Amino acid sequence: MKTWLVVLTIAVIGLGAYSIDLHGDKEDLQRTVLAQYTDKLTDASEKLSHLQRSVSQSLLFQDEQAIHSELDSVWRLSSEVRSSIANIPIGQELSNEWMNYLGRLGDEAKRTAKTGDYNAWREKMPQVSTNLQSLSDEWSAATVDFYKHNGKMDVWLQQVDNKNPNTNFDKVKDTLKGYGEKDFPLTLSESDWQKKIELKALQDAEITEKEALEKVKYLFPVIKGATFTVTKSSDTAPYPFYHIQFHQGIRLGYVDLTVKGGHLLSYLVERPVDEAKQSQEEILKKAKEYAKKLGMEDVAYVESRENHQAWHVTFARVHPGDNALIYADGVQLKLAKDTGELLGANAMEYIQEETIKPQTAKPIDWKTFFQDDIQVQEVKNIYTDNGQFEQRLCYEVIALRDGKIQETFRVVIDAENHNVLKVEYLT
Amino acid sequence: MRLVSILFALILGISIIAIPQNEVIAFSDQQITRGAYGDDVIELQARLQYLGFYKSKIDGKFGYNTYWALRNFQEKYGLPVDGVAGTKTKKTIAGYSDYDEKWVKAQLNAGNQFTYYGSIPLDQQVNKGTATGGSGSGSGSGGGSSSGTSNNNGTQTQVPPKYTERDLQLIANAVYGEARGEPYEGQVAVAAVILNRLESPDFPNTISGIIFQPLAFTAVADGQIWLEPNDRAKEAVIDAMNGWDPSENALYYFNPKTATSKWIWSRPQIKQIGEHIFCS
Repeated sequence: MKTWLVVLTIAVIGLGAYSIDLHGDKEDLQRTVLAQYTDKLTDASEKLSHLQRSVSQSLLFQDEQAIHSELDSVWRLSSEVRSSIANIPIGQELSNEWMNYLGRLGDEAKRTAKTGDYNAWREKMPQVSTNLQSLSDEWSAATVDFYKHNGKMDVWLQQVDNKNPNTNFDKVKDTLKGYGEKDFPLTLSESDWQKKIELKALQDAEITEKEALEKVKYLFPVIKGATFTVTKSSDTAPYPFYHIQFHQGIRLGYVDLTVKGGHLLSYLVERPVDEAKQSQEEILKKAKEYAKKLGMEDVAYVESRENHQAWHVTFARVHPGDNALIYADGVQLKLAKDTGELLGANAMEYIQEETIKPQTAKPIDWKTFFQDDIQVQEVKNIYTDNGQFEQRLCYEVIALRDGKIQETFRVVIDAENHNVLKVEYLT
Repeated sequence: MRLVSILFALILGISIIAIPQNEVIAFSDQQITRGAYGDDVIELQARLQYLGFYKSKIDGKFGYNTYWALRNFQEKYGLPVDGVAGTKTKKTIAGYSDYDEKWVKAQLNAGNQFTYYGSIPLDQQVNKGTATGGSGSGSGSGGGSSSGTSNNNGTQTQVPPKYTERDLQLIANAVYGEARGEPYEGQVAVAAVILNRLESPDFPNTISGIIFQPLAFTAVADGQIWLEPNDRAKEAVIDAMNGWDPSENALYYFNPKTATSKWIWSRPQIKQIGEHIFCS
């Protein structure tokens, strides 16, 4: 009995010590995490004040160089505050509003520096500067509690949890939303882009569920004997579509078709894939045939990528006027490496069909455009987004620097104004 | 006409004799070009490096670096310059180079950083354990044998140029942690949500920033993100990176049985896949 008592006492003492140790570790960990959050929060708050000052200072000068220096600061600081805020646990909605507001401010500064439209900046920024000041104050008031919890992370998390609305944060959130809409309203191109991705342009007659199923069987005969489950998109979805899930033997997958016109959005099958038997040539030939069969006759091959189970092949619509490829109207197909079966088709972008405004291509002398050690290997005319939701006619250049190592770049240049829109490093 | 035929036969005969016959059996019989991956590409890169044409990493991916090296080889050896490794090109390369498949595969499997120049002893071309990963088994269409590179650890996967293999690995971790019990379509949709956030001004502008944004993903909070993702999760991410979006442009998803946030219920819903409701 005595022995048991001793063993039990030792066990209790041991467990107690272990528990104290564990608790200590947890506390240490919490303090470390809190220290990092505090660092980010302090950084965000301080830089927010600097950002407000930079915006205000940008309104001081007529001199182009002096304005540029401030615009650079606005762009850099907005990006830094954005990054700090992204690392603080403040709840998704508030974080989203901050990201959006700061991102737009930074973009505006970058755009102004690029276009030189200082008058528009001067017109807009006095109000933004005032708004930033009041945001900075509200943010300080909302976050002051953070420093009062003496290292208690759970208290802070309870405050920012969406289950327990925090009035201070809600105020910042509402203010941000209001300022965002007023200070940086959607541009015409953005609003067009929004309409495009919400398929507002689709004006075809609605098809029934039965018609949708018939279309699926017609487009993808391999699953015509499958068991189908059809559901309609939620009422709040930006565009109505049929979500058709199927199961046939080893095949499981889905097809999404728009209710208006029954256009294919996407198709994807999951099935086991055996050893590769199809050559690259055969795969590409089949991909072209599938694209045709799906009714995409106005597309041309862009690229393909082989992976463990399948090939992904990309096509893009060809502009009927100048034969340039419209990358925004892309189609992606997925083909199995064993039989070449179509495992997937994605026509979401293809059905959005871009409206292309007429543009002219001014030739570029590549010898003066690039450095001497750069060899231009391929030049293709394409249409692509210029970052401001506008489709621009561009030269897509594959350039090679053949030095100690070979480096390949894809450079996209606006064909009209010769602005470089994109540079990608290719391997 | 007869003279032309005789001349042609002579030239053909001489060219066959001129090609060294030290490696007759090489490659598979398939022609490969940009986009391919697998054993044939590993062999092609190794042989081109052996001859000094290919200067990049031997990774089994037929990208631009392999393409230029092949074109330079074709130009130098009087072959049609098309960047396609067809029968004639493969035979010519095999004739002029040596390929120690066992050695090359051993380096790849060990995750070593290595080169394969013909002019340098092999043991001087290895930096042990310095590469980001090795390879397992499997084969590309360009590969005629049963062994070769695979995507088992994500290091040998081809993703669109705007993404990296690190992105693939991170998203696969998130997908596996968040949705491993969901249908394949649901896993692609979760990956697509992460990629949609990358395009949205409301979110951080890196994959890592999005995934590790505090309070954004349950799998990060409960540590399930650190589970090793399976091939299915990686395949789902590859599909999403290639454009598939079963969520139809969603930016959020939640499990209605476990969601505690009131705010998430206020988001416009799009569709439900498995246990997840996707919303914008």
